[in-house]
Amino acid sequence: MTYRILPGLAALLAGAAAASLQGQDSPFGINGLGTPGRFESARARATGGAFAAFDPLSALTDASIAGLGRLTAIATGTTSYLSDDLGGASASRRASRFPLFQVGGPAWSRVVLAAGVSTYLDRTFHVEIEDTVTLAGSRQAITDNLSGDGGVTDIRVVAARRFGRLTLGAGLHLLSGSTRFQFVRNFTDTSSYGDVAQTGEVAYRGSGGSASAILTVGRQLELAGFWRIDSRLRSEENGEKVATNDLPTTYGGAIRWRPAPEAAVAASVTYRGWASAADSNAYNTTGWSAGAEFGRTVPLRVGVRGGTLPFGPGGRAPRETAFAAGTGRVFAGGRGIIDVTVERLRRTGAGLTETAWTVLFGVAVRP
Amino acid sequence: MSGRDLRRGAVVLAVGGLAALACFENPTSPAQCPTFCPVGGLETVESLLSTAIERDSSFAGYVQAHQAPVLIASSVPGVQSRPIWVSLPIDTRFRIDTGTDTTTGPIVVDSMKLTVTVLRADTAAVHNLRLSFYQLPVGIDTATTFAGLATAFAGTPLRTVNVDSLAALSSRRDTVTGDTVLALDSAHNRVALRLKFTGSQTGFSAADSGKLALGVIATGDNPPSIALGSVETGLGATAWWFYRVDSAGKLIRPDSLPLKAPDSLPAPPSFDSFVFDAPPVTLDSNLTVGGVPSIRSLLRFNLPRGLRDSTQIIRATLQLVPAGAAVTTTDSVFLRVKRLLADLGAKSPVVVDTLVASSPPFAGVPSDTVRIEMTTLFRLWQADTNAVTAVYLSLLRLDRVDSIHLSGDEAGTLAALRLFSSRSSAFRPSVRLTYVPRVKFGAP
Repeated sequence: MTYRILPGLAALLAGAAAASLQGQDSPFGINGLGTPGRFESARARATGGAFAAFDPLSALTDASIAGLGRLTAIATGTTSYLSDDLGGASASRRASRFPLFQVGGPAWSRVVLAAGVSTYLDRTFHVEIEDTVTLAGSRQAITDNLSGDGGVTDIRVVAARRFGRLTLGAGLHLLSGSTRFQFVRNFTDTSSYGDVAQTGEVAYRGSGGSASAILTVGRQLELAGFWRIDSRLRSEENGEKVATNDLPTTYGGAIRWRPAPEAAVAASVTYRGWASAADSNAYNTTGWSAGAEFGRTVPLRVGVRGGTLPFGPGGRAPRETAFAAGTGRVFAGGRGIIDVTVERLRRTGAGLTETAWTVLFGVAVRP
Repeated sequence: MSGRDLRRGAVVLAVGGLAALACFENPTSPAQCPTFCPVGGLETVESLLSTAIERDSSFAGYVQAHQAPVLIASSVPGVQSRPIWVSLPIDTRFRIDTGTDTTTGPIVVDSMKLTVTVLRADTAAVHNLRLSFYQLPVGIDTATTFAGLATAFAGTPLRTVNVDSLAALSSRRDTVTGDTVLALDSAHNRVALRLKFTGSQTGFSAADSGKLALGVIATGDNPPSIALGSVETGLGATAWWFYRVDSAGKLIRPDSLPLKAPDSLPAPPSFDSFVFDAPPVTLDSNLTVGGVPSIRSLLRFNLPRGLRDSTQIIRATLQLVPAGAAVTTTDSVFLRVKRLLADLGAKSPVVVDTLVASSPPFAGVPSDTVRIEMTTLFRLWQADTNAVTAVYLSLLRLDRVDSIHLSGDEAGTLAALRLFSSRSSAFRPSVRLTYVPRVKFGAP
């Protein structure tokens, strides 16, 4: 029975209550819509995301949930330790997120249904700026603390069905969520100038649809293709529209080869058309990944991924590269799964270098 | 407990610990604006609202001389002022016996001690501040004028006291005259004195039931402009009559009488005021403040709704251009702004609280624009949109300065200042506003 891993799942969910359902934030996203989330489970992330298109615990494709042979609930948590270096100024950050929750299982006539929430855009940030402004003819020292906490969440309902060697899937997506902003300005000359604090909560609305297919070729090869389109993202404050942004069309493909029962390698490529989402500092992105998994009981997973980020200053898309490794363990006759992944990430662009160590935990329960 | 259970427990603890760690977050990243800062950050705007003051006017007669918190004593030529007061009557006869004999005996005053508080005794500026006490007719009242008392002040004073010399005594007591310094507050230039009047100096009149009217002329090496405490602030000059009771030619100490009468009788003022020769101040198209009776100016603020509702004001400065003086003195004065509870013109009630604004102190006519910081009041008007956006502007004599506020008295100075009103297009009052517009959150 799964009772053995239930305490772990409970602890993870308790942490979820304390933290937010967001992905990994980045300074590159502050000036844009945010930092896009990754729809990958901890085990897929260990392969650089290369297995995500085939992974029923991930939320990248719809067709992959056909692999859920029984009712399954999954949760993924991450803790990141990040360092930023901006023109010699460095800072350290720490962020904990729960970017993926999903429940799915067989429904009827070999149709598998799943529903879940995942991070679409992370808009959490905090910057402290010390500057001077000219007021009444003299320079006044100020300190600004600008912060945002929240993001856009993807709520999805998907269905998939196997038709022999072909698996088809489709999904509906609702984009929701909010960000609480707080901008504070403190003047050094408090006798002349009062402090300023402005707060606001921006809510987001949007929708989308997705479709995907997985084709099994022979006994060792699988091919996946996926496509997703989203409506415009509407941002509202106090019920009033403050912005509308185009959201990208996403498509990509992946290949997985299993030369032996205990070995598999995969690669994937994903394109997202973010350029129309914002101004000249928004770019279309292409991401790639490659990874492998060895073993069954305590598998070893390794992977690498790279690509570009959709937002960043300087007229060129920031680049990112990550290496990951991880393992997992199946408990209670397959009723419980725990996956652990460690990832090393490096992002560069416009004079900023961001590096991160991220630890991911994935818990799956099959009652 | 088996090893398996221990391992299981360790796993649960580890997961719980990691979940607890997830509660802590530090999202601060290095800032380089605008490239790595949110779009539409805080912006500070300065704006000169030249028409923010409208329908402004001046009204006279708020605080009369006899209502003033201080009694002005000035010998500055052209603005001479003399405190006057009359004390309450006292019992002039006491019963000699407790028995059936109801015979009373008259009191015989042998001395009088006057407690008086000298305010603004600026010894550094004046030197040898002297107070000369004159006996006045007991019929003085609010109609009494400077000219009407000229004869009384032309006579010989009952006593003259050198305040500086007395305050400089280490023992704080003059054993020859019997004068005593009761309190000396050098920080606020305040001296409380008890002055002894003996014999004919007492001015006692049984026919007037002991009522005594006194007037004071203050002099010094330089013409002083000081003040004495008044009844309104509890610092009115009080006469203490020391007496004996005449029992068939024998003077008896009152405390030896069977009824144990007190050995001195207090006589606080029943009326106090001051008379002065400063010219009367007439109102014109300018804004006028100060003088006695005090004159206030009513300023109505027209704060644009867009600024009131959609900005955060961080500094608001009222700018007033002086147009000259109606009456000039050497007093240190400042302008005070008090908000109104309701705008009823000349009879508008003011809000009694600490939300006031003041100009820096000055003397005479300011050589530059007078600036009054009104940030707190403007923020209040933003928070309470039903509040009346009108204020009274008044000229106060500077009493003291602490770390936060100036304090002073209305009708505590004869100085009167004129400021350009909104009827002067070139020099009309204005407001310099510094504010932060509402940030448009959420727009990348």
